[in-house]
Amino acid sequence: MLEGLVSQESLSLNSMDMSVLERLKWVQQQQQQLQQVVYQSSNNSHELLQILQFHGSNNDDLLQSSFSPFQMLGSGFGPNYNIGFGPPHEAMDECISRTSSCHMEPVDTIEVLLKTGEENRAIALKNKRNPEVKTRGEEKTEKKIKVEAETESSMKGKSNMRNTEASSDTSKETSKKASEIQKLDYIHVRARRGQATDRHSLAERARREKISKKMKYLQDIVPGCNKVTGKAGMLDEIINYVQCLQRQVEFLSMKLAVLNPELELAVEDVSVKQFQAYFTNVVASKQSIMVDVPLFPLDQQGSLDLSAINPNQTTSIEAPSASWETQSQSLYNTSSLGFQY
Amino acid sequence: MVESLFPSIENTSESSPESRRKKPRISEMAEIESRRINEESLKRWKTNRVQQIYASKLVEALRRVRQRSSTSTETDKVVSGAAREIRETADRVLAASARGTTRWSRAILASRVRAKLKKHRKAKKSTGNCKSRKGVTETNRIKLPAVERKLKILGRLVPGCRKVSVPNLLDEATDYIAALEMQVRAMEALAELLTAAAPRTTLTGT
Repeated sequence: MLEGLVSQESLSLNSMDMSVLERLKWVQQQQQQLQQVVYQSSNNSHELLQILQFHGSNNDDLLQSSFSPFQMLGSGFGPNYNIGFGPPHEAMDECISRTSSCHMEPVDTIEVLLKTGEENRAIALKNKRNPEVKTRGEEKTEKKIKVEAETESSMKGKSNMRNTEASSDTSKETSKKASEIQKLDYIHVRARRGQATDRHSLAERARREKISKKMKYLQDIVPGCNKVTGKAGMLDEIINYVQCLQRQVEFLSMKLAVLNPELELAVEDVSVKQFQAYFTNVVASKQSIMVDVPLFPLDQQGSLDLSAINPNQTTSIEAPSASWETQSQSLYNTSSLGFQY
Repeated sequence: MVESLFPSIENTSESSPESRRKKPRISEMAEIESRRINEESLKRWKTNRVQQIYASKLVEALRRVRQRSSTSTETDKVVSGAAREIRETADRVLAASARGTTRWSRAILASRVRAKLKKHRKAKKSTGNCKSRKGVTETNRIKLPAVERKLKILGRLVPGCRKVSVPNLLDEATDYIAALEMQVRAMEALAELLTAAAPRTTLTGT
């Protein structure tokens, strides 16, 4: 039955004897049918995706109300389709060449038939529009492109609907193929069922997903964030945590300021390894603020690393402070100058 | 710059991110940066080497602070001043450990230079500007949605991230929190060490 439909159309268009009036009537019929199809299925079926993919090549001239959802998705894919699938009619207008090239990936059963139908129509158009090919932006050409695209879409819409009614597997196949092909060229966002597929909402969705992914990282690192849901609550927790950490640093710096005079004396007695040991002890006895903090493992390489830093010194920090100072000074000079990347 | 001082240490642990950082172009760096921050920031501030480096640098810095402060006369107020100095030193050391890959670390290191420059400028001018700016914002204040308000607050907390986009701000916050955690741990350990060692000296002193 599908073939019948397509062949009928191809036949009807093939014959150049068909009068213009008849053709226009047929086109209007298709238009009406298309509108019905669109408004029924625009928001509810994800087969729309396929329609969009077949339409991937809409021109910017095709700005119409019924086409705006298609074209948003399509305009992104347009040039890519052109590159990917060498259009057979290169001498023709871009739109038509693209529309014909779009048909390269549909299901096998429809493919051949659609192609023939399309080619026939394309040829018909070509003969009609040869004198007008060069003039872009003319309303006539626009209308014809509109009409042609509409008819394509209506036909495809019908065929798609029937196809999906018949077997959902093939439609999934096409969508898979199309999405694969999409991935080759463009954004890797797949519209889900029942969600808007215009360009802006896709970009918006990608942005939102990025942000939510980052919030998840933050959720992992900030304790207590799991219990709160929603961005506002999580942000509250995060802000609270950062303020808490900063206050801790202040407090500890005050403590160290008091203890600082003993620093030199203490440092002579204590080596780096002991410092590391204290790290682990402190961490182990920490309160609930530091949850899930991994311990600083004792590492034998610690002393080696330090010796690498201060080649003049031995493992302990008993070396003369002069070399230490110069090295640290040089370090600070470089660091305060900023990093040149 | 800092890399040249620690070639052997850092190469093994962070060689892949460094190579990734140097090779791609500037346009891709942002994406790679954010990805790296997300994947590694939780781990990189917990690695042994980072902690050791931070610890050693902190000790050095505190020594210098102490030597500088020892020249001046000691009073009660100096404690708070010294505390501020130590905090700033610790922050700088932390930022230096970040190797300039994050915005907040660069801001911390740059703020020191900026503070020095500001001392030469007249204080009145700056306060006057601040006031006028505040007045304008007060009159034009519109209640932003809660989330955006909180994002602004977060931006003010993380140094150098006031006018940063939302995803970058979240990245910076992640890295900053991880770094702060490490800083707190290091300073606590140091304080414990000193308090453990201190009684000996105080006992001998008294």
